[in-house]
Amino acid sequence: MLSVAIFLPLAAACVLAALPRLGASAARAVWILVSAAVLGLAAAMWAGYPGGVAYEQRLRWIPSLGAGYHVGVDGMSLPLVALTALLFLVCAVYTGRDTPRMPAYAAFFLFLEAVSLGLFAALDLLLFFVFFDLSIVGMYFVIVGWGHGDRARSALRFFLYTFLGSLALLLGFIGLFLGGGTFDLVELAARPPFRAEPGIAGLVLLAVGIGFAVKTPVVPVHTWLPPAHTDAPAAGSAILAGILLKMGAYGLARVALPVLPGAWQRHAWVVIAIGVVSVVYGAFVALAQRDLKRLIAYTSVNHMGYIVLALGAAGLAAGDERARDLAVTGAVTQMVSHGLVTGALFLLAGVVWDRAHDYDLTRLGGLAGPAPVLTALTAVAAFASLGLPGLSGFIAEFQIFAGVIGTGIPGAAVAGAIAVAGVLVTAALFLRVLQRAFLGGPGELTARFTDVRPRELLAVAPLLALSLAVGIAPRPLLDLVEPAAAAVVTLVSR
Amino acid sequence: MELYAPILVLGLLAAGFAIFSVGIAPFTGPKRWNRAKLDAYECGIEPTRQPVGGGRFPLKYMITAMLFIVFDIEIIFLYPWAVAFDQLGVFGLVEMVLFILTVLVAYTYVWRRKGLDWD
Amino acid sequence: MSTLLAAPPGTIPAPTIEYTQLAPMMLVFGAAIVGVLVEAFAPRHLRSAVHVPLTLLSLAGAFALTILLAVDGTRNVAAMGAVAVDGPSLFIHGTILVLAFVSVLLFNERLQFVSQAASVPGSTEEEDSLEEGAVQTEVYPLALFAIGGMLLFSAANDLLAMFVGLEVMSLPLYLLCGLARRRRLLSQEAAVKYFLLGAFSSAFFLYGMALIYGFAGSVDLAKINDALGSASGRDTLLYVGAALLGVGLLFKIGAAPFQAWKPDVYQGAPTPITALMASGTLVAAFGAVLRVFWVALGNLDWDWRPVMWGVAILTMVVGAILAITQTDIKRMLAYSSIAHAGFLLTGVIATGGPAQNEEALSGILFYLVAYGFTTVGAFAVVTMVRDAGGEAGHLSRWAGLGKRSPLLAGVFAFFLLAFAGIPLTSGFFGKYAVFAAAVSGGATPLVIVGVVSSAIAAFFYVRVIVLMFFSDPAPDGPTVDVSSMGTAAVVAVAAAATVVLGVLPQPVLDLADAAAHSLFVR
Repeated sequence: MLSVAIFLPLAAACVLAALPRLGASAARAVWILVSAAVLGLAAAMWAGYPGGVAYEQRLRWIPSLGAGYHVGVDGMSLPLVALTALLFLVCAVYTGRDTPRMPAYAAFFLFLEAVSLGLFAALDLLLFFVFFDLSIVGMYFVIVGWGHGDRARSALRFFLYTFLGSLALLLGFIGLFLGGGTFDLVELAARPPFRAEPGIAGLVLLAVGIGFAVKTPVVPVHTWLPPAHTDAPAAGSAILAGILLKMGAYGLARVALPVLPGAWQRHAWVVIAIGVVSVVYGAFVALAQRDLKRLIAYTSVNHMGYIVLALGAAGLAAGDERARDLAVTGAVTQMVSHGLVTGALFLLAGVVWDRAHDYDLTRLGGLAGPAPVLTALTAVAAFASLGLPGLSGFIAEFQIFAGVIGTGIPGAAVAGAIAVAGVLVTAALFLRVLQRAFLGGPGELTARFTDVRPRELLAVAPLLALSLAVGIAPRPLLDLVEPAAAAVVTLVSR
Repeated sequence: MELYAPILVLGLLAAGFAIFSVGIAPFTGPKRWNRAKLDAYECGIEPTRQPVGGGRFPLKYMITAMLFIVFDIEIIFLYPWAVAFDQLGVFGLVEMVLFILTVLVAYTYVWRRKGLDWD
Repeated sequence: MSTLLAAPPGTIPAPTIEYTQLAPMMLVFGAAIVGVLVEAFAPRHLRSAVHVPLTLLSLAGAFALTILLAVDGTRNVAAMGAVAVDGPSLFIHGTILVLAFVSVLLFNERLQFVSQAASVPGSTEEEDSLEEGAVQTEVYPLALFAIGGMLLFSAANDLLAMFVGLEVMSLPLYLLCGLARRRRLLSQEAAVKYFLLGAFSSAFFLYGMALIYGFAGSVDLAKINDALGSASGRDTLLYVGAALLGVGLLFKIGAAPFQAWKPDVYQGAPTPITALMASGTLVAAFGAVLRVFWVALGNLDWDWRPVMWGVAILTMVVGAILAITQTDIKRMLAYSSIAHAGFLLTGVIATGGPAQNEEALSGILFYLVAYGFTTVGAFAVVTMVRDAGGEAGHLSRWAGLGKRSPLLAGVFAFFLLAFAGIPLTSGFFGKYAVFAAAVSGGATPLVIVGVVSSAIAAFFYVRVIVLMFFSDPAPDGPTVDVSSMGTAAVVAVAAAATVVLGVLPQPVLDLADAAAHSLFVR
């Protein structure tokens, strides 16, 4: 079932790529149908999830390199698989028929969907890397081909940063292979390499860490993110923020923590420091933005910082174990929540661009008049993003703070306290956006605005509804995540 | 050291002969002056100023030179074989025939492509 | 000499030649000689019809013989120690023969080669020969001689045979470079540059060989290695000789700082010849490099390794960075070939124990196959994109090709992604295999440089892809010539190889492992 979910979009992408003359409506229909089918598969997998590593499949691929086709999902990857399926369907619904070169656009998104699902399902490092690298290539072409503004430059910067990061990652994986003799994640986690050589383990962690840090991204390797987001098409931004950024954080939780536990423990404080810096820096820089999309992009740096902070705290072996479980659970929940909320925010920003062809907050104003539904949706998304109770962001961030501070280590408590301050700043900046652009007197571009179209509403509403659902009744999600998070904490505490 | 003595003697003889012939020539040779004798080259071509870029040069000279090299090289290989062919036996014969055949192929190519025609 | 003089007459031992083991090489050379005879005696209109099957059949036959030898399991040195028949040399021979076969399919003497090489570009003689419909069918025997030279060069087990192979390979290539039908002056310039620099590098090689002989008293690779342990007091001869030998070899693979000829020659030469050089010559030259540095100078690795580090780093960086500034597609591919030579050199440096050597050798062999196919395919695409004045070399002419001919542009994009080493292409596993060997060989800093330069290299590859797919085509843009079945077949084969080696590399990896298993015979 899992492999079908991975290869169905890929096959559809190949078909669409082979038929460039296909009409826009037909291409869009194929895209929506395939994405819906994948979402159906993901839902079925969730419903039938028995616990542990499920839907596992293992095929020989390149035995002489110790690499195989090994996929499977557990409580950490299943929510992300489901998120991927949902977000891609939403993007398909959101995208209008008037998009230029529709078949190719749909093909690239289906390709990205296959790659993302494959990455979250991969239990083999080489397979993981293959998908990791292909996601960069796919997103590069989406930005170059369908972006706006200075897209070639932004896409190039995105490509160079993340490709270099991925090569560092490859270097790290080669190191793991040489240490462990296999690329299989399950076997590597069972017998972590370099237990006796802390120096080498540190270097390998550095290489792997750089690879994931660029993709996550954390300060100071985040500089590719704002231009890439600003110039990408709305659906591309949503996928980039909602799914591709998760690959970095997910990779840390999936590879770095279980396979290099010793090194992770030794360098946990570095990770925590990077996380806190990202939280604070992202929040303050976002506060200074005039460009709506850059602002959302910097809040992503801030939000991903929480995840890194939580994962760093998981490595504090001296800390309370239940608190660390809580932190990792929060990190995974934050990945899902950020995917839903930021995806919605970027799609809404896409609506703004569609009407005004500008993101300049100083030229917008009083949008609540001509576009009340847009205003309402943006308000909900903004509140979810800043962590208002009752929405998913609160559940995630609360668990992270409670977990980090609850470790009982003074340094972690300080870090957690600083990070909480980041929430205040994001709250301030989102309220400022709402006040500037949507309330108040009309701006010079307000006249161009009409309210959301049905397809836009249909795309954004489910994301926010799910965010609300997670915020009110988080149990179904947490039941899934908690055992997996506890397993990760056990692995990293060895 | 004794091994090298003949070489030394041969060298001395050669040098002596060269010095003797050049030194004796002005005294014994006939002295009949004409214009050609004063030219830089006595082959009959008048030296002229070199044109820009070296000028064009008839390819025929080069082909002649190349043919010369082909046969010259052939001799280099043939000579040692001729000295020791009885010791090399059948192997030497086969290899030499192969070698000559190869050169012959090149030769027929030149011949068929009119490389041997002067005009 | 003294032993020869002292021996009584009648005791010169006749050498033995293992003709069966040399059969692939002899078949290629024999076919080349027959080709010369065809030139001499066949009427003009029949020549091409005879040459093409002759050339292709002889290459296919030589490949079959190589396979037979490999299956047979013979591993020794043939022809009195002059030629090695071992796993790596058979693998390299097979690779060269397949790549040469594919490159020869690209030959189209009416389209790409000059009608009469001796006529001055733009002269009335040239116009006359064009009108007459003259064609220079000598390209086929010349190519066969060059291919035979490659086979000898990569398998030579003593320096003298290696030098002969080097020259037999290079001389026809010098000529072939000057035979482009379009842009004649550029082509002749390329030929002269290649010849002068090549002759220079041959002289270096020869001088180095003489000094090494002075050190070791032998040109046999294994005996040189033995002498490294026993002879002493003549280290100067050894070091200077090894350095000069290295210069000659590194020139052939186009490693910096001896890379200057590559862009000029690749650009000026007829594209099928460029394909042959970029694939076959590179493979052969790496075979020779490995043999000299691993077999002859294997015990000297502590001395040459630092120098090779510098050369590899310089090669990767120079290749990757200078490629960015190129505006001609063939020049760009030439610089990319330089960068790839640098990546391969990281594998050459990754020596150690036997297991380590096997891993590195297997990685290099796989990389050579993967890169060879991709590069032939890329040059094949270049021959198909044509302007009124011949191939559309300038990159700006390639803008919007994806709209004109999506399939061709797609295949070319795929080749470029393979050069960049993106997963699911052959380039990824090639790069992986070499880098993994280098990391386990303790050359991690070198691999980091390699990683950075391959990211830089990826930049200009994707730039071309963007140019093809996301720029508007020029109104008078180039046309895509799909008339040649051979070229289309080459593109298809190269694309298939790039996919198969990228998705299911296991069989070829096994083959490379098996070839590398016994390492080099000595």
